[in-house]
Amino acid sequence: MSAWGLKLASLLTTVFVLAGSYGYALTHVKNAAAPLQPPVADKPAATAAPAATSTPLPSLVGIRRGNPPRSTAAPAPLLNLTPGVQATALPAITFTHVS
Amino acid sequence: MDPQLLVWIVARAMGLAAYIALCIAVLSGIALRTAVLDWLAKNRAMRALHDWTTWLWIPLGSLHVLALLLDKTAQIGLADLVLPFRVEYGSLAIGLGTLSLDLLVVITVTSWLRRRMNDELWRWIHRTSYLMFVLLFVHALLSGTDFNAPLISAVSWSAAGGIALLATSRIVLGRLPQ
Repeated sequence: MSAWGLKLASLLTTVFVLAGSYGYALTHVKNAAAPLQPPVADKPAATAAPAATSTPLPSLVGIRRGNPPRSTAAPAPLLNLTPGVQATALPAITFTHVS
Repeated sequence: MDPQLLVWIVARAMGLAAYIALCIAVLSGIALRTAVLDWLAKNRAMRALHDWTTWLWIPLGSLHVLALLLDKTAQIGLADLVLPFRVEYGSLAIGLGTLSLDLLVVITVTSWLRRRMNDELWRWIHRTSYLMFVLLFVHALLSGTDFNAPLISAVSWSAAGGIALLATSRIVLGRLPQ
């Protein structure tokens, strides 16, 4: 085979592999079985649960029409605002029964 | 497409293509020293192929490295391209890639400076290509995201197997008579 034939064959082989691997990577973006898993994937998200804040519960007294607002001597109870989804120590659900 | 996703896909595709181009480079290099592939082409044509492949793997390998530098998830810095085993995760797998890159740069630069070098020294440096390829293959095996895909695995192992076979014939049998 001539030098040009060899060069062309090597170019075509490389381009074929490049196109094939690009197509494969495009259709298999994530590979759970990949040998390398950068640590960022294991860490909890940086924007995880914000700190719970305490907000005084507004007094409901006096809101109704006709009732003048009255001062309360006792402080208003505190309401804890936490995210709706909470972490749990329960084991992960692995089976869901369907009847 | 998300730029980070693009660099990740480019890094993987370029890595595999650079590996194949380097396989052709090593294969044609060994073929110059054995008569096993004499049926395919004469030494002059094989030498032309060996020189030509440099222009195949340099851009592909450079893009593989550049894409990994730009990929924030990969967490690879400029120093990691020269100093091996510094990356916090997959230290061995990535470090072997760094070592093979270092060797590749030395082999390529000394090849360009061959006429200004001692021939025996150049020859010994060029023989480290075998070691470079082994490091590269283990790097691909340990860190290649797509290496476990059947087709990609078959192509990669076949290329490495062909080089191993040819290298063994070169070492054990020397240059076969024509």
